[in-house]
Amino acid sequence: MNPEEFGKILEEATLGSHQALERIFELYDPLISKHCRIDGKIDEDLKQYILIHIALNISKFDI
Amino acid sequence: MDHQQEYDDVLRARFTKWLDTVIYRAKLKYLRKTETKLDTVSLEELPERILPVYEDDLRQIDSMDAFAFEEERLADAFANLPIKRQRILTMLFVEERKPEEIAKELNCSPQHVYDQRYHALKKLRTELMEEGDGR
Repeated sequence: MNPEEFGKILEEATLGSHQALERIFELYDPLISKHCRIDGKIDEDLKQYILIHIALNISKFDI
Repeated sequence: MDHQQEYDDVLRARFTKWLDTVIYRAKLKYLRKTETKLDTVSLEELPERILPVYEDDLRQIDSMDAFAFEEERLADAFANLPIKRQRILTMLFVEERKPEEIAKELNCSPQHVYDQRYHALKKLRTELMEEGDGR
């Protein structure tokens, strides 16, 4: 994904597009998963909590 | 590199940093929440000896009347009350009905229900105190 595309998707995600948000989740999955590791294993409940947290807060990101 | 591309790169870097912070805070919040939860153990995992209710007790409870008596002597004292007073106490404290409703059903005045309750409770109290002193 080129930077221009990324900017467009991010903007759509902040405006509430579910598809764009899913793309952001895919793109940042390694970062999200890194934070979800507890004792070396991914805590699915924590991951779910983080994804919801991102979805609820992404509109606050100032582009 | 043109200005637009530079802007997009900066945007991505800024968003990545923002997201990292958001995720970190969410994780801390989640961990704090889960740490305050009390550990629970399923009933099946508990040894039978520490369970407060055994099968015999359950059978006994099943055979009891509407009142779940904590003490046998209270049950005895209750059984010694006149049937009408037993019925009034049951309706008041087990069925949680209002004295006015009970009065209608028993075809008497609400005051009569209050009087019966007063006398029944007084009798129960007296019997329990007498038995308690005797033991």
